[in-house]
Amino acid sequence: MIIRHFAARNGPRALARTAYQQPLRRFFASDVDGPNTSPEHNFERQINAQAEHIPSLNPTPDAEQSGLSVAEQYHLYKQQQQLNGRLGSEITEHYQPHTLLSNPPSSADVTLELLLASEAHQGHATPLWNPANARYIHGIRQGTHIISLEATAAHLRRAAKVVQEVSRRGGIILFVGTREGQDHAVVRAAQLSKQYHLFERWIPGSITNGQQILGRCRTKVVNEKDEEVTGFEDQLYDRPVLRPDLVVCMNPLENYVLLHECALNNIPTIGVIDTNADPTWVTYPIPANDDSLRCIQVIAGVLGRAAEAGTKQRLEAGEKGEITYKPAHNLTLPEAEETAAAEKEKLGEEKEAVELDNELAAKLEDIANHDGRRLGHRVKHSA
Amino acid sequence: MTRGELSRSLQRAIGTLGRPSCRRPIPHPASRSKPSPSRCLSTTAARPEELQVNEVQEKFTAAAPIDFGRIPGNRRNVLAALRVVPASPSYFSAKPTFNDDYISLCALLRKVATLPTVSPAEAPKVAWKTIEQYRIMTNEPVKNQRYHKMLHILRRLNCVHPSLMPQEVLDAMQRYKKETQPGDIKPAPGVVDEMGRAKGVGRRKTSSAVAWIVEGEGEVLVNGKSLTEFFGRVHDRESAVWALKATQRLDKYNVWGRVSGGGVTGQAEALTLAVAKALMVHEPALKPALRRAGCITRDPRKVERKKAGHVKARKMPTWVKR
Repeated sequence: MIIRHFAARNGPRALARTAYQQPLRRFFASDVDGPNTSPEHNFERQINAQAEHIPSLNPTPDAEQSGLSVAEQYHLYKQQQQLNGRLGSEITEHYQPHTLLSNPPSSADVTLELLLASEAHQGHATPLWNPANARYIHGIRQGTHIISLEATAAHLRRAAKVVQEVSRRGGIILFVGTREGQDHAVVRAAQLSKQYHLFERWIPGSITNGQQILGRCRTKVVNEKDEEVTGFEDQLYDRPVLRPDLVVCMNPLENYVLLHECALNNIPTIGVIDTNADPTWVTYPIPANDDSLRCIQVIAGVLGRAAEAGTKQRLEAGEKGEITYKPAHNLTLPEAEETAAAEKEKLGEEKEAVELDNELAAKLEDIANHDGRRLGHRVKHSA
Repeated sequence: MTRGELSRSLQRAIGTLGRPSCRRPIPHPASRSKPSPSRCLSTTAARPEELQVNEVQEKFTAAAPIDFGRIPGNRRNVLAALRVVPASPSYFSAKPTFNDDYISLCALLRKVATLPTVSPAEAPKVAWKTIEQYRIMTNEPVKNQRYHKMLHILRRLNCVHPSLMPQEVLDAMQRYKKETQPGDIKPAPGVVDEMGRAKGVGRRKTSSAVAWIVEGEGEVLVNGKSLTEFFGRVHDRESAVWALKATQRLDKYNVWGRVSGGGVTGQAEALTLAVAKALMVHEPALKPALRRAGCITRDPRKVERKKAGHVKARKMPTWVKR
């Protein structure tokens, strides 16, 4: 019987025991005579033979699972994880990075401790500041500005309320985060709330020249329960391009063009304003650190949750039959169009039928006249 | 009997005679057994309906309850609930299909990231769509760099160990693969026929050769002539049977070859390839040895064409200063 993990099960002293229990001795007569029968050689050989039988504390995978395929090894590993994974001490209340994206905090969970831990207070070096941000700065430390977290929290909660209400009223919210690493946060916020995201470069003119740039992208007609209603494809083709009703920008310094276009078109914006950013570029600034991914994930998470709550309110109202949004103008029901088209067809058919009848009558008259001429009996019909 | 009574009875009799025999429906046995409670209990005069107890009562179900939510044919109600929204969450990127694809692949990779992988060299060979083909498929102006980022993720997904590859990953990858993959069309392997012959075809420059190899003593016939008769040059004789010489099987096989086209050396080299291919049909395990001997690759060199402005393919007329 081969015992694996012998030392782990029985302790390292067990190894010593086996060595004592099997003293060195000769087994075969053929080993006695020959060129390799010196006592040192025999001793070495026996030690080596025993060493093979002693299981090592860190066995190599090849030695152990030589008979198992990769899939079998993987399943075995998973089984052992399940059985033994929870052994050891239980650590609660610690930072798990993935939870910011998988289960983002809501506006009520925003605390100064959370913002501090997410490095939202870290501003830029003092010479690089924008003096318009003076009201949000708490002080200076080691040559950098420290953003006041009370201001951050207050502005974040206000922005969350705005986002929730816009979402409840069926508005199109665009979450923008074009820096590397912000894509996951922005996509997740849009996913939660069934809104829209942008994580690559904003194409200048997408609002001011929207027909050219976004004209090919597909739109759809939805009802109060957010279910798609088909039959409007022809009407959608002629409609103007859609614009966001609210833009949430995680890095306003890189998205000047986007914010400018929004300002030109009366679209309110929310932005994460660092100490060197211009707060007048956005309607609702959130003074925070835009260079920290963790801070961006917290802010995007909170706003995503708020939008999710607004969407939920809108859908609940929709279930009851209440419409919280302004319906689309100039849409006609496809059935009405169909009946109009059918009526037109019918009229056309009737006309054709009348014409055919006339032709037929004329032909019959001709035939009758011919007969009359041939036979000379029939009376000519009056036309 | 009085007159009135007689006439009444007569009338009744005549009436029954004249009436056609009507088949009265068989009354339901239950209705007979059921006592009519109203007749039993009521002290008022019996109502006319209750006298017809034995009539059949057909089963029916009442109409469905009124749905006050939907008023049929009310157009204003339906239109009042409709709004136009973008079909994809990536609408404002101007490349919605590409961005949705990228996001879904990233999410899939996060899901299967912990599965065992193989090295890229051992992963199954896949021909991914070119950027042009992808642009045609999605009808979007996708940038080179971003498409290659997506290909990077696809290659990583392809490296998941084949025995543990989830079906959803295979389904997701299928969209980005070319329609024809490198291993799809496999040429039928050559067979040794009932007489022990294997055929091989070889070409070099404009010569083509067909060689049949059988187990034998080492005889060689080319176009009906022996090797020494056909090839005057020793080098050509050697190269014609180089495949057998390199694998030390000159005395084990007989060669019957037919060559045409080109010159002597071209025909000899064509025979090299033909004999090697025929030998591989007999012994497929010799392929690495034959490759080392240089018999497997078809030499693609051919006479280069003459170009305009040149005397020959490369030679130019003498350069004149003026």
